[in-house]
Amino acid sequence: MKKYIILPALLLFALGAAAQDFDNDPTLQLEKKDAKFTIGARFMADAATYHSDFTPLQSGASISDARIRTSFTYKNWYLYADFGFGGGKFSQKNIFAQWSTVNEKGESHSIKAGYYNDPAGSMARNTSLGSYHFISRPGSSYALGEGRELGVTYKYNSDKFMAYQGVFTENQYNKIKAGFNGVTVAGRYLVRPVYDSNQTLHIGVSGRFAKLGGGEVFKNILKKTYHMGQTLETYVDEDEQFVNADLEWANTVTNLGAELLYHNNRFFIRGEYFYKHVNKSRDTYSLMIDAQDNIDGWGSLEAWENANKLRSNNFHGGYVEAGVILFGNGYRYNKADGLLGGLNGKALELVARYNYTGLNDLTDGEYFNAGRGHYYAAGYMEDWPGTGATSVGGGNLHSATIGLNYSFNKYVQLMVDYTYHKLTSDYYPNDKNFHVGQARVQFTF
Amino acid sequence: MFKNLIRLGVASLALVALTTSCSKEQQFTSEKTDAKRVEVQVLNADLAKVRDYVPLYAVIAHRGSTFWAPEETESSWRWAREMGADYLESDVQCTKDGIVLANHDENLKRTTNIENVFSENVPTSRVAFYMSLGFSKADAEAQYGRDMAAFRPFYALSYYYAELLMLDAGSWFNETSLEQSRPSFEASETGSFSGGKIVYSNGQYISALQDQIAYAEGKHLIRDANGRRVLSYKVKDEYQGMTLEQIYNAIKAKGQYNAKYMDFIEYDFANAYEPDPQDTGNRPGIYVEFKESWLNPGNMEQRVYDVLSECNWNIIEKPATETAFYKGGKVNVGNTNGKVILQTFSFDALRRANDVFKGRIPMCYLLWISEPAYATDIAIDDPTGYAAFIKWAQDNGAHIIGPAISGAPNNYPEMNAPWQAYMIRKSGMINHPYSFDSWAQMCKYMGYYNYGLETEFDDLLRLEIPATAYTTTSYPSSVPVYMDGFFTNRTEMSLKYMIENGFRGNSKLPNPFHPGQTYDNSQANVTVPDAVETLKRLGY
Repeated sequence: MKKYIILPALLLFALGAAAQDFDNDPTLQLEKKDAKFTIGARFMADAATYHSDFTPLQSGASISDARIRTSFTYKNWYLYADFGFGGGKFSQKNIFAQWSTVNEKGESHSIKAGYYNDPAGSMARNTSLGSYHFISRPGSSYALGEGRELGVTYKYNSDKFMAYQGVFTENQYNKIKAGFNGVTVAGRYLVRPVYDSNQTLHIGVSGRFAKLGGGEVFKNILKKTYHMGQTLETYVDEDEQFVNADLEWANTVTNLGAELLYHNNRFFIRGEYFYKHVNKSRDTYSLMIDAQDNIDGWGSLEAWENANKLRSNNFHGGYVEAGVILFGNGYRYNKADGLLGGLNGKALELVARYNYTGLNDLTDGEYFNAGRGHYYAAGYMEDWPGTGATSVGGGNLHSATIGLNYSFNKYVQLMVDYTYHKLTSDYYPNDKNFHVGQARVQFTF
Repeated sequence: MFKNLIRLGVASLALVALTTSCSKEQQFTSEKTDAKRVEVQVLNADLAKVRDYVPLYAVIAHRGSTFWAPEETESSWRWAREMGADYLESDVQCTKDGIVLANHDENLKRTTNIENVFSENVPTSRVAFYMSLGFSKADAEAQYGRDMAAFRPFYALSYYYAELLMLDAGSWFNETSLEQSRPSFEASETGSFSGGKIVYSNGQYISALQDQIAYAEGKHLIRDANGRRVLSYKVKDEYQGMTLEQIYNAIKAKGQYNAKYMDFIEYDFANAYEPDPQDTGNRPGIYVEFKESWLNPGNMEQRVYDVLSECNWNIIEKPATETAFYKGGKVNVGNTNGKVILQTFSFDALRRANDVFKGRIPMCYLLWISEPAYATDIAIDDPTGYAAFIKWAQDNGAHIIGPAISGAPNNYPEMNAPWQAYMIRKSGMINHPYSFDSWAQMCKYMGYYNYGLETEFDDLLRLEIPATAYTTTSYPSSVPVYMDGFFTNRTEMSLKYMIENGFRGNSKLPNPFHPGQTYDNSQANVTVPDAVETLKRLGY
C-alpha cells in the first residue's frame, strides 16, 4: 500500500523536473483527474556596456529572452513545449514527450523523444538559463558544447547514478542544402558519492559522436562545414566574431567531457572540461580534377594535396564556477537532471567564474598575415600554388567573471556581472582586452 | 547589511543602464579612426638608409610612356629620358635562353606582331636556327621535339631572344593609339629567317634589360644600314663542342630554376649600343618590376642581379660615387646609389629579391586589390590588413609602398586614400602610387581639390611647399601630399605640375622622413620639353 503513495510522488518529481529550461513550477495549473495542464512564461532583459581595445561592440539593452511554456501531464506521460520571442522573433525551443516510471527503490527509467538538449551538450547547456547563476553560461559551453537536437533518449536515474544517453539527428528541420541530417549518439553519466538533503557531490563524464550529414554542393561534391563559436558571454551584442571557427570538410565530431559539481546549503562549485575532435574528409581527387582549369594544371594529386592540406582538429576548453549565498534560501540540486537549481525565493549570492575557450589549433611554423586573412604553411606568404596551411585560428579566450544576484522572491531576480576577457586571435591582432559590464532583470512564472 | 547589498545590486543595474544610455554614440570600425590606432611597423635604420638613396618627389616614367610611344621600347625610354623623368620604369620577363626582358606582358600578342610572324607552334625556323649555331640536323630536330613539349604559344619564355628580335614591337601602338601613331614606330621590314640566319626586324624591339640600362645611360641601339639593330650571339663557351642534347641535360642538371630554359646562348650586348646623338645629358635611374613568379625562373632575381652587375649598375658591388640627383638642370639619378629601384606585387619575388639583394637596393612593394582577391592581393583592405602588409614588406627588405590610385583611364582601385597614405608615411616608407594619367590625378594626390581638403591625417600628410620662381599656382602653399614620387604615363604633364606647384626646382622642400630638414631639387630642369617635338627630335 505504501508504494502507491510513494510512487506517484516520485513520478511527479521525475516529470516535473523535466522541463529543462525552467526549474520552477508554473503558476497557472489546471488539473482534472489524472491530467494536469500548466502554462507559464519567462522574461529576461539585459543591459550591457562594453569596452574593447580596438573593435567596438554595441553596448545597449536587449530583451534577451521572452518565452512561453506549456506542459501536460497524464499518468506516466509528460508533454512539454516552450517557444521563444526574444529578439522580436518567434523561435521553437524545447518540445518533447516523455514517458517515465519509478520503482520503490526510487530508481527511475524514462524515455524521451522530441527536440531538446543533447545530454552530452554540457552541464551548462543542460541547465536552464533562468536557473543559471550568471547572466550567460560559460563561453566554452557554447563554443565546445552542443545544444538542442531532435532525437530520443533513455535515462536511468537513482540517488547514486545517472545514465542518460540517446540518438539524435544533426538538426531538426532537414532544411540543409544538400546531404542528410546526420546522426549523433551521446551520453552523460554521473555518480553521486554524496547526495542528501543538504549537499551533493556529483562527478560525471560525457561523450558524443556525430556523423555530419548536411552541407552544400561545392564543385559537385558534398561539402560539410562545422561551425563553432561563442559571444563574449553576453546577449546584448551576440556577435561571435572574436571566437569562432568554421571547419570546412568536417565529417565527424567527437566530444568528450568531464564535470564536477558540489554544493551545500550556502556554497556551490562546479566545473567542466571539454574536448572536441573534428575529423575531416573530402573527395580529393574530384577536387583536384576540377582544379585543372588552366594550362599549368597540378601535375599530380600529391601536388594538389600539398597545396590544400587537410587535417583533423582538436580543441579544448572548460570553466569553474563558484557561488556563495550571502543570505536567503540555500542551493538546491535537481537530481532528475543532475543539475544545480537556480535561486529559489529571497536570496542574495556572490558568484565568480573562470572560463577558457581554445579555438586556436595552430600548426607549428605557419605564418599568418592579417592583410590576407590566411595562414601559410611555408612560414611566409607565397603566390602559388596555395597556402597549404592547416591552422585554425578561432581564437583563445580567457574570461573571469564576478557577479551578484538578488532574488526578490521565486519569481523576480536581478543580476549584475562584470567579465574581463583576454583574447589571443590572429584575426584580431589589435584586440587583447575586453571589459563587459552587464545587468539583468528576469521574472518567471 | 542585507538591505545595503540589495541597494548595491539595484544601483549596479541602474549604473549599467545609465552608462549605456548616456554613453557616446556607438562606435563602429572606420578606417578614418582605426588608421591612427593601428600599430605600424617603422622602417629600421638599415632600410631607412637605403630609402634615402631615392630622390623625393621622383617622376617615374611608367614603361617609358604608354601614351606617347610603344611602351618599354627604345622610343618610349629615349623619350622619357629626354623629357627629364627621374626613372625609366619596366617589367622583367625571361626568354627561353634566359635573357631578362624589360617587357610588361608575359604573352607577347598585345605588344608585338608575333601572331603574324609565328604560328601557334614552335617556330618552324627553330631547327634551322639551331643548325645555324653549328648543331647537326638530327640533334636540332630532337631538341625541337623537346621544345615542343614545353612550348607555350606566344609566351616570352618559349622563344629565344634572337627570335623575338624578328618581331615588330611598334606597329600595335599605331593601331591602338591613332592620335599618337607615327610611321617611324612601325618596322618597315619584319624579321625572318633567311640566308641561314635570323634577320631582325627594323623597328621597335622587345627590349632586354641591358637595352633599358643603355637608354638610361644616354645611348641608343646600334643599327645597320637597313635600320636593324646589331646584336651578335653565339653559343656560350661552357657549352662549346656539346650537342644540344648534352646541353639540355647539363642545364637540366643545374636544377629546377633552369629546367625549362636553354640559356646556352650569349649575346654581345657590350657592342650593341652607341652614344645617342640626341642625348642631352639626363641620366635617369631604372625602376624594374619582377612579374609573375610562377612563370619566370625561380632565380629571376639573381638573373637581374647579374645583369645589373654586368652593366655596372649594381650598387652592392659597385657603389655610386655621386650623390646629387640633379646637376645643372639635368637628371643625375642614374649616377647615384638610387639608380636602381626594384618593385613587385609578388610575395615570392619580394622574398627572393630580399635573399639576393638583402634590402641594399631600394625595393617597392606594390599593392593591388580585387574581388575575389587574387593570390598576391591584399585581401583585407582595412588598417589592420594594411599594417600587416607594410610589416610584411619591410620584413622582406622593401623600402617603398606602391599603392594603386583611382581615376581614368585605368580606373584602378583606390589604395592611396588619406588613411592609407597616412599609414605609409607613419611607417617611414616611401609612397610611390601608380599610375598617373591626368592633371586631375596630380591635383588629387598632391594635393588640392578632393584629397586636398582637410582630413584628420593632415598632421603627417600636410606639408609646407614654399613657392619658387616657377610656381604659378594660386593655391595655398600648405597642402596634404599623398606621394613621395609616382608612376606616370605622362611625364611631360607630371613634370609641369611639379614645377608649377613648387615640387621641382625648389631648394627648400620639406623632407617628411627627416623633419626639420629640407630637400633640395633646385638643380632639376624647370623647363619641360614639348612632348611631340621631343619625339620628332629623336627621329620618330
